[in-house]
Amino acid sequence: MRIITITCPECGTVVAANELEANRTMKCPGLGCEHVLRFDDMAESERGYFLDHREQYRL
Amino acid sequence: MKGLVLAGGTGSRLRPITHTGPKQLVPVANKPVIQYGIEDLRDADITEIGVVLGNKGREEIQAFLGDGSAFDVDITYIIQGEPLGLAHAAGCAREFVGDDDFVMYLGDNILKQGIGEFVESFRSGDYTAGIALQAVGNPQQFGIADVTEDGTVSALIEKPDDPPRDLALIGIYVFSPAVFDAIEQLEPSWRGELEITDAIQALIDDGEAIDSHVVEGWWKDTGKPEDILDANRLVLEDTPGERAGTIAEGAEVTGRVALAETATIGEGAVVRGPVTIGPETTIGQETYLGPYTAVGANCHIENAHVENSVIVGDSEITANETIVDSLLGRGATIRSAEGLRPAGQRLVIGENSNLKL
Repeated sequence: MRIITITCPECGTVVAANELEANRTMKCPGLGCEHVLRFDDMAESERGYFLDHREQYRL
Repeated sequence: MKGLVLAGGTGSRLRPITHTGPKQLVPVANKPVIQYGIEDLRDADITEIGVVLGNKGREEIQAFLGDGSAFDVDITYIIQGEPLGLAHAAGCAREFVGDDDFVMYLGDNILKQGIGEFVESFRSGDYTAGIALQAVGNPQQFGIADVTEDGTVSALIEKPDDPPRDLALIGIYVFSPAVFDAIEQLEPSWRGELEITDAIQALIDDGEAIDSHVVEGWWKDTGKPEDILDANRLVLEDTPGERAGTIAEGAEVTGRVALAETATIGEGAVVRGPVTIGPETTIGQETYLGPYTAVGANCHIENAHVENSVIVGDSEITANETIVDSLLGRGATIRSAEGLRPAGQRLVIGENSNLKL
């Protein structure tokens, strides 16, 4: 299974695509980081793959 | 080499304690469980550590560990979100790990002897992965490894009816980055998770060499209340007692008793180690604190008999009762019902609580 993540460019915190997709837009969960992460920031190919297989990323 | 501490999971087997906090922060001998893993990695000279967090207790764990500097390590957080399995947690760390090898450590495990020998065993050969094992008396209830005479793993078997060996996987692994390709090939198991044992089996099937290391000394998975008490007993067994606090004249203190600087054992109290007592805690008169008890910070105990128990902190126990083999969550109070009418016990019990009266 392809595991897709995004890394905050400001603090290096890694967020799994399933978490980001659930929120679409979220404040970076890194300690004290104010950066905003967006599902749309991910590469189009990764977003497309994730959305095509989203059931795999849910329990 | 990097470290990866897995700190997700719901902690359902530790309810109600985990209704209000993550299982990785439940204290054993007055130290949160996750701290043991962080310190084991640091003691093996692994200071770049990724901590994988789920949806539960994320902020509490981050507040406790911070950036890692308090523990002489550098922590990067990896948000897994849904608990999609250990292999998914590892896979989320691919970018963090890069081209390094890494140790994966379940954040609710405690080992007596640390991981130094385990890491050395992996480094001494040309291995793709290494697994820590321990002999167990009930191998049917564990993932079991079949190993050759030289310690190379030949197969993993999940909860076998007829186990070929009694060597169980204990939740500590070391991997080369090759594991990420194996994880990418996995499909979710029947329970919807990516299983790390499937990833290791895939490496074995591809002809990769997998090291095994049998861990001497005890190991505990602290998933259940009785496991917390067991781990607390085992850690206290090895903990030197440093009596930095105040012991009043007329108090009787014997054995190894770790007493925080701002803790007090009052006149008439009897404390028999091994025991640990946290800061700002008072052990008052007519109290007996028996072996294998850990009392956290800001507690007051008076008139009670407490033995083989973990009191997390901020508690008041003043009932003239005997409390044994117990785990008390933060802020719990046990006071006397004497003189109250109608006579009887008065309980405010959270969901999933477990009492024996």
